[in-house]
Amino acid sequence: MLNYADQIKEKVRKDLLNLLEGVRGKKNLVVDEDLAGPLGLVSKYSTLQQYGVDKVFFLERKNIDASQKNVVFLSRGESADRALAIAEQIKRLQQESQIEHEFSVFIAPRRTLVANKIFEEAGVLGDISVEEFPLYFLPMDVDVLSLELEHSFADLFLHRDPTCIYTAARALMLVQQKHGLFPRIIGKGDGAHRLMEMLFRMRTEASVDDKSTKSTLGTLPSAVIESLIIIDRDVDFGTVLLTQLTYDGLLDEVLGIKDNQIEADTAIVGPPPGQQNATTQSALKRKLTIDSSDKLYEQLRDANFAVIGPLLNKVARRLQTDMQNRHSNMTTAELRQFVNNLPGLQAEQQSLKVHTGLAEDMMKFTRNTTFTRVLEIQQNLAAGVDPSTQHDAIEELIAKDTPLLTVLRLLCLESCFFGGLKAKDLEHFKTLILQAYGYQHILTLDALERMQLLFVRTGNIFSNATSQATTVSKTNYNYLRKTLRLLVDEVNESEPNDIAYVYSGYAPLSVRLVQCVLQKQYLLSFTKSSSSGSSSSKSQPPSTPGISSAAHGWQGFEDALKAAKGQTFNKIQKGADEAVTKARAVLGGGGTGGKKTVVVFFVGGITRAEIAALRLLERDNPIRDILICTTSIITGNKMIDAALEARTFGGYGE
Amino acid sequence: LSDKNGVSFEVIARAAYDEGRATLATQLLNYEARAGKQVPLLLSMNEDNLALDKAIESGDTDLIFFVLLQMKSKLPLSSFFRMLSTRPLASSLVEASAASKDRSLLKDLYYQDDRAIASSNLLLSDALSSPSLSTAIDKLKLSHRTLAESKDPSAVIHQKHLVETQQLLKAQESLARDLDTSYIGLSLNETLNRLIRNGYSKRATKLQSDFHVPEKIYAWIRLRALVSARNFG
Repeated sequence: MLNYADQIKEKVRKDLLNLLEGVRGKKNLVVDEDLAGPLGLVSKYSTLQQYGVDKVFFLERKNIDASQKNVVFLSRGESADRALAIAEQIKRLQQESQIEHEFSVFIAPRRTLVANKIFEEAGVLGDISVEEFPLYFLPMDVDVLSLELEHSFADLFLHRDPTCIYTAARALMLVQQKHGLFPRIIGKGDGAHRLMEMLFRMRTEASVDDKSTKSTLGTLPSAVIESLIIIDRDVDFGTVLLTQLTYDGLLDEVLGIKDNQIEADTAIVGPPPGQQNATTQSALKRKLTIDSSDKLYEQLRDANFAVIGPLLNKVARRLQTDMQNRHSNMTTAELRQFVNNLPGLQAEQQSLKVHTGLAEDMMKFTRNTTFTRVLEIQQNLAAGVDPSTQHDAIEELIAKDTPLLTVLRLLCLESCFFGGLKAKDLEHFKTLILQAYGYQHILTLDALERMQLLFVRTGNIFSNATSQATTVSKTNYNYLRKTLRLLVDEVNESEPNDIAYVYSGYAPLSVRLVQCVLQKQYLLSFTKSSSSGSSSSKSQPPSTPGISSAAHGWQGFEDALKAAKGQTFNKIQKGADEAVTKARAVLGGGGTGGKKTVVVFFVGGITRAEIAALRLLERDNPIRDILICTTSIITGNKMIDAALEARTFGGYGE
Repeated sequence: LSDKNGVSFEVIARAAYDEGRATLATQLLNYEARAGKQVPLLLSMNEDNLALDKAIESGDTDLIFFVLLQMKSKLPLSSFFRMLSTRPLASSLVEASAASKDRSLLKDLYYQDDRAIASSNLLLSDALSSPSLSTAIDKLKLSHRTLAESKDPSAVIHQKHLVETQQLLKAQESLARDLDTSYIGLSLNETLNRLIRNGYSKRATKLQSDFHVPEKIYAWIRLRALVSARNFG
C-alpha cells in the first residue's frame, strides 16, 4: 500500500519547520486553538524548540508577551475572525512593547484575499511577512486522512458555507499531483457533485498555469489509484445519529476523541507512567494518545463493544504466561532474550491497564438504564417499526430530564429514517422540549430544521421511491432498508461477516453505497435472495458473474441510488495527451496490475464506526486498499451540537 | 485561439482594457480559465456582477467574499441585497459572516427578504444576550411582533412559543420576588421541580395548568423532585 499518511505527515512537518527556519533566531509562536491539536499530530513541542520556538501562546487567550523579538502567528486563514484577532494582537504588541517586533504570519492552508484586506485595513500589512502553510490533510492513521475542519459540518449544513469543499478539492488536487489523476470519480450527493466539479475545474486551471509556470500536475491517470468515491454526508444523516457500538466509536461518543487524544479520569486509567509519586499535581484528568502505534488498541478499536471483554481477557492471559515464563528460564541466553523483550511486555501491560480501565468505564455507561432505553428506541426506528410506538418512550426520557442532545438525536433519527415527523407529533415534541429544556431552544429547533435534521413530513417526499427521474430531496430509508439490506439480523459480532456489526445489526447506508461500487457481487448475493422478485432486481441481468471486475461505477444499483438524496455521478478522467498515454503503455508494459488504492472521501464528516466498517470492507477485498479521507471525524452529538443554543435567560446579575 | 490550451487570456484582456476597449476585454476574459485571475480584473473594470458570478462559479469562497466586501462598500445597501437575492450561495455567505459581526445588516437583509421567522429569531437571540430581564422581555415582544403579519404557517406556532417565553419569565420574576430564591432562566420543568422540592406544590400545580404540562410529564417531575428532596410521604 502506498503510504500516504506518512508522506503527508512528513511533508506537513517539513513545511512547518521550513517556515520556522525562515524566521531567524528565537521566536514566540502564537497558534489558534483549533490548530494546536492537529499540529500535535505531526510535530512535537521539543522539535519546535529545536527550531527556536521559545514559548507557545494561544491566539484566543490574547496574552502574548514581549519576551522575544520575533512573533510568529500560525492560523487558519479561511476565517476572517482569526485575521482580525491577529491584527488586533499585533497592534496591541506594537503599542505596549518596548522593543521592535518582527511579525510573521503563517496562514493555513493558503493566503486569502480577505485576510489581506483585513490586515491592510488594520494598517499592519506593511509590518508583517505573510507566508502560506499548505496544511490540508492530516494523517489520523495509516488509512485515515482528515482535514480536521471541526466546524465543517455546521458550515456546510447550517450556514451553507462550502469553504470546506473548496479546501477538500485543493487537498485532493495535491494527491493527484503526486500520484496522478483519479482515473474515475464516482459520487453521491450534491456536495459531492460540487467537489467533483471543482476537481475538474482546478485541473483546467492548472493546465493553464502549467504552460506558463511549468508546474507539474500529472496529466496522466494514476497507475496506483483506482478511483475516488465521494459520499456526501447529507445522503445519510441517519447513520451518524445512531449510537456507535464499536470500541473506538463508543469512546468517541462518551469521552470524545480529539486529534487522536482522549481525556480520561486518572481514577479510570491510572496516573501517567513515571508520575506515580507526583501526587501534588491535582491532575484528575489524563490525556492519552490513542492510535495504531498502540498494538492493543489497534486490535480493539474496530471491534464491537460486546466482544471487548473477551478480547481483553485473552490478551491478559497471554501476557501473564509471557511474564511467568521468566521463572522457568534456564540458560543465560534465554534470560537475555527475556530481558530484551521486557520493555515491550511492560508497555503492553501498561496499555492493557489503560484499556481495561476505559472498557470498564464504557461498560458502566452502557449498563445505564437510559442508555439501554435509548438503544432500544434507536434499534426500533432503524428497523422501521412504526415510529409512533416509540413516542411514549421518548416522552418519558424528556420527563426524566435526559440530556437534550440525546433526546434530539432520537427525534432527528426518526425524522431522517421516516422522512419527517407528522406535523402534530412534531409540534407536540417541540412544546415538550421547550418546556423541559428552556425556550432558548426555539433557536435550536429552528437550526435543526434548517439543517434538514428535524422536519415535518409531507406526503410527496415519502412516496418517492423511483417515480421521478429527478433527484429526491430526502433519502428514502424505507425503500433502501430492503434494497440494500440495511438490517442484518444474524450479524456475528466476534467474527464480523458484514459491516452491520458496527451498529449491532444496522449497516450504515453510507458504507453500503461504497459497497455498491466495490462489492457488487457481495451485495447482489443477498439482495437477490431476499428481495423476492420486487422491482429492485429487475433492471439488471439475472446472471451476474461478469459484473465483478468489468462493471464500474454504480452499475447494477441505479434504482437504489435514485432513492437516496442528491446527484449521482460517475466520471472518467483521461490523460490530456493521448500520445503520452500510449507511450507510457508501451514503456511501462501496461502497468503492473497490482493492488490499487481506492480513495473514499466523506464530505461533511465520517464516524468512527463507519471507518471500522470500511476497514472490514478492505479486509474482505484482496485487490484493493482503501484510503479514507474526510473533512472531519464526527459523532451524532457533534452534529446536533452545531445547532444547540447554549445561552439561557438566566444570565442577569442576581 | 480558443481551442489552444494554456493561453493566458488574462494578460490579453488586461492589454485590451488598457487600450480602452472594455467590452472586448470582458469578452476575452470569458476564455480565461483561472477564476483567481479573472475576478480581480473584472472588479477593476467595474464589472462587479460578472466578477461575483465568476467567483461563485469557481467555488472559491475567499474570492466570493472578496467581491462581496468590495460590492458592499460600493453599493447602496438595497441594491446590494437585491444582487444577493438571486444568488443563494453569496447570500448565505453574507449571512454566516454577519451573524457574529454585523447584526444590523442581518436585520435589514431579513426585512428586505420578508423572512419573518429569521428576523424574529434574530431578536430572540438578542433577548438571550440582553443585560437585564426587562430588556430581554422587550426584545421578546419585538420578536413576537415581527411575526404578526407573516403568512408563514409556522409563524403561529412560533408566536405561541414566544408568548409562553414571556409568560414564564414574568412568572419566574414574581416567584423570585415572593420566595427569595432565583428562578429566572430555569426551564419550565426545572422551575416546577424546584418549587416542589422547596415545598410550594400549590404554586407548582398552578404553573402546570397555566402551561398545560401533560399529566404524565408532571407526574415524573413530581416524582423526581420528591425523591431528591427525600420526601417520601
